[in-house]
Amino acid sequence: MHEDIRTTPVKRRAVVAGALGIAAAGGSGLLSGCSSGEAAAGAAPDSLSAPPTTLGQKRTGIIYPPGYVGPVARERRAIVTEPATFTVVVPQSLTVGDWEKNEFTRWMEQQTGIRIQWRQVAGKGNDAETMTKVNAMIAAGDVPDAFLGITFTRSQLYLYGAQNLFVDLNPYLDKYAPNLHQAMKDYPEARKLMVAPDKGIYSFPDINDCYHCRASNGRAILNTDWLRKVGLDMPTTTDEFREVLTAFKKADLAGGGKTIPFGGYKDQPLDTYFMNAFLYNPGEPWLVVDDGKVGVTYVKDEWREGLKYLHDLYADGLLAKDIFTANEDQIKRYGDNPSGPILGGARVYYWGTLMTLDLVDPNARWRQYQTMEPLKGPGGVQIAPWDYLDVGLEVSTLVVTRKCRRPDLLVRWADYQMDLEVVLRSYAGPDIRWSAKGDKGINGKQSVYGFDSWNTDATKGKTWDQYGVMYRSGDFRLAERVNPKKPTFESPLYEQTRDQLFPFKQPMEQQFPPVTLEADQAAQDAEIGLNLKGEVTSSMAKFVTGKLDPADDGQWNDYKNRINKIGLQPYLEIQQAAYETYQG
Amino acid sequence: MATATETALTGAPAPVRETRSDRIVMICNYTALGLFTLAVLYPLVYVVSASLSDPKNVVSGKVWLWPVGFSLEAFKAIFDYDSIVSGFGNSVIYAIGGALIATALTLLAAYPLSRRGLPGKGIIMALFVFTMMFSGGLIPTYLVVDRLGLLNTRWAIILPGALAVWNMIITRTFFQSTIPEELAEAAKVDGCTDFGFFWRIVLPLSKPIIAVNLLFYAVAQWNSWFSALIYLTNEHLFPLQMVLRQILIQNNFDPSQVRDTAELIRMKELQEQLKYSLIVIAIIPPLLIYPFVQKHFVKGAMVGSLKG
Repeated sequence: MHEDIRTTPVKRRAVVAGALGIAAAGGSGLLSGCSSGEAAAGAAPDSLSAPPTTLGQKRTGIIYPPGYVGPVARERRAIVTEPATFTVVVPQSLTVGDWEKNEFTRWMEQQTGIRIQWRQVAGKGNDAETMTKVNAMIAAGDVPDAFLGITFTRSQLYLYGAQNLFVDLNPYLDKYAPNLHQAMKDYPEARKLMVAPDKGIYSFPDINDCYHCRASNGRAILNTDWLRKVGLDMPTTTDEFREVLTAFKKADLAGGGKTIPFGGYKDQPLDTYFMNAFLYNPGEPWLVVDDGKVGVTYVKDEWREGLKYLHDLYADGLLAKDIFTANEDQIKRYGDNPSGPILGGARVYYWGTLMTLDLVDPNARWRQYQTMEPLKGPGGVQIAPWDYLDVGLEVSTLVVTRKCRRPDLLVRWADYQMDLEVVLRSYAGPDIRWSAKGDKGINGKQSVYGFDSWNTDATKGKTWDQYGVMYRSGDFRLAERVNPKKPTFESPLYEQTRDQLFPFKQPMEQQFPPVTLEADQAAQDAEIGLNLKGEVTSSMAKFVTGKLDPADDGQWNDYKNRINKIGLQPYLEIQQAAYETYQG
Repeated sequence: MATATETALTGAPAPVRETRSDRIVMICNYTALGLFTLAVLYPLVYVVSASLSDPKNVVSGKVWLWPVGFSLEAFKAIFDYDSIVSGFGNSVIYAIGGALIATALTLLAAYPLSRRGLPGKGIIMALFVFTMMFSGGLIPTYLVVDRLGLLNTRWAIILPGALAVWNMIITRTFFQSTIPEELAEAAKVDGCTDFGFFWRIVLPLSKPIIAVNLLFYAVAQWNSWFSALIYLTNEHLFPLQMVLRQILIQNNFDPSQVRDTAELIRMKELQEQLKYSLIVIAIIPPLLIYPFVQKHFVKGAMVGSLKG
């Protein structure tokens, strides 16, 4: 039915080999060369004839906290009685080891009856390396039944999906994925995030709702021990913050002039914290939605005010000299400084980026550093950019191709992995212990499960290293038992995110969602986006470090002109159209 | 140069007084070379030291020259990973097998092309050179490898692109300049066939160029990963470089993309533990064979290139 509608765009897409390069070229080759390989198989006619899968009985003996939303452990049955084999391409991983001999692989096979013949590709599954290989395979018609843990972008999924290379899972999900359906009820945005512009769903997603990740762009930490020493409170406004840094610098608590009032490194942009005292700024690609209209933050006057603020901080020596150039090793060297802390604060993802974490010592250095509230700017703006949409559901976890005769079985196999027990085994290994009544989880409520150790050595060869299909809801993740003798950083990270950042989040409508682009748009988007990113980041560094003066009208207008010349207008038009498609 | 002139004038090989400019040149020479050596040697020493140190000291920047907190843990850890052990074995196979096959092909192509009497020599040479500038491209080559049934076998690493035209040209030049036409004629007069001549006379005279080819090819195979990336989907066939890349790549991630701080820590651990020891393991074999081939190496490569 969709076939006729699709023909034209597919041809157009196939011609544009631009940014998707091999991908697009390969796709077109496949269209014309259907006869050339097994890729032309398609699903067997009986693949939708099996009765719908139903959820089993809830298993007893597992305690869930009240109001718990997330995966539950149920009675499960094997998927097939006659063994069925599928070829699946996966990334190579040292933690998984040999996929064939992996303990979770064998367990899954024994439980479900579905046998997988693995084909490993190098890379992490989401890097250029993996995609080079995968594109070569696709172009040559050498496709497996499915890809697991290979991260195609939404636009790629749509491209291949519209070419009928990837299977539209809609009919299968309706019938054979009860766990996913439950998850989609738990996460109302899920369907919107999964469907392509043509309403097809070209991959089985996974949900990994990391609470503190939703706020990571807006996290900055400050040394509370030093605050006490200079007799100041946690700053809540831009002026107070400047005061605190000035006091740090003056007191020189590291001694010998080694004090760095505030640090950071190049992979953790400053703007995602500081600009939010002037306007809502989610960070790269700096797209925001205002009343249904897509715009960018870096040309607004408020952005300029933010630059002026940072410019002054830098000029007063309150920001680390190498804040735009330091790499992670350098910042860690500051953080781990053997003679005592030398950093007053830093813009970091979490403490571990700044220093080695001692999880045993209750007075460890990292515990001195606390998450700051977002600063309130002169205009009263105070926002912690909250990532509602990019964190949580991820597409492309399992991609079923046209070569697969029985997509229904693979969908059931994926859905099977969303059961609580299977989720735990999949990413953490078989050494799970269900919690007793009263065991506390990360969020301080009743915990559901825990493991004694979770590290490289203990799980090597036993898990799928998070490449599997998982349903890890927010409640699930926070229901992990905390060992009172060896508390990790998870609880403080959760609590500080909840208290310091969550209350200041922007409304969801303002966030630009993850959109799907047509192939030619995707090429344009990638090219212009990259140039814009270069211009914005380098100009920001120049404005802050004093090479450019944000107070100078001429220089600010030059900057805006450069941005416009790169193609801000066409770029925004692409995003606007994609945004409207996303909203339906 | 001045020394040589003076020696020539007096006719005596006795040591001669060095002039001031000589000395300055020497000092500059030694300083420059010394700095250069340091620049090459320091990273090597650092990597070895880091591999022998406690990873904690490496991360905190305490290691800068010698090992701090000596530990062999990193090397022990390597043996826990099957893919590293098998990767090493595979790399050895690819290096040796690839070098033998490629060298044989190179010699077989270079020798006829070095003889004057070969008909169509110009065309054949042009075809060879053509491939230096134009290639079929990734996808067509992949298709060829696939249809030949080489995909996902060791042959896919060794056979495609086995012969390097550049090496072939150097080898041909070597033959042209060291094996005179007259020698072939003399052999023919004595009743030697073309094959006999190649086998009994040319090869024994060509040890330097054979050594050069073996080394070039072996090192190229040892360092290569791209064909393995493209043609292999069986972990048991992956060479060591693939594993090495994987560990090094794990350093380059965007923290905001990582959904788990625990995962972040695990990746760091793994990397800190294995990075340096793995580099050491990967550079040892080429370092070991180099001294044995070196004397031929200089001679062979020079002869082939200079007298072209």
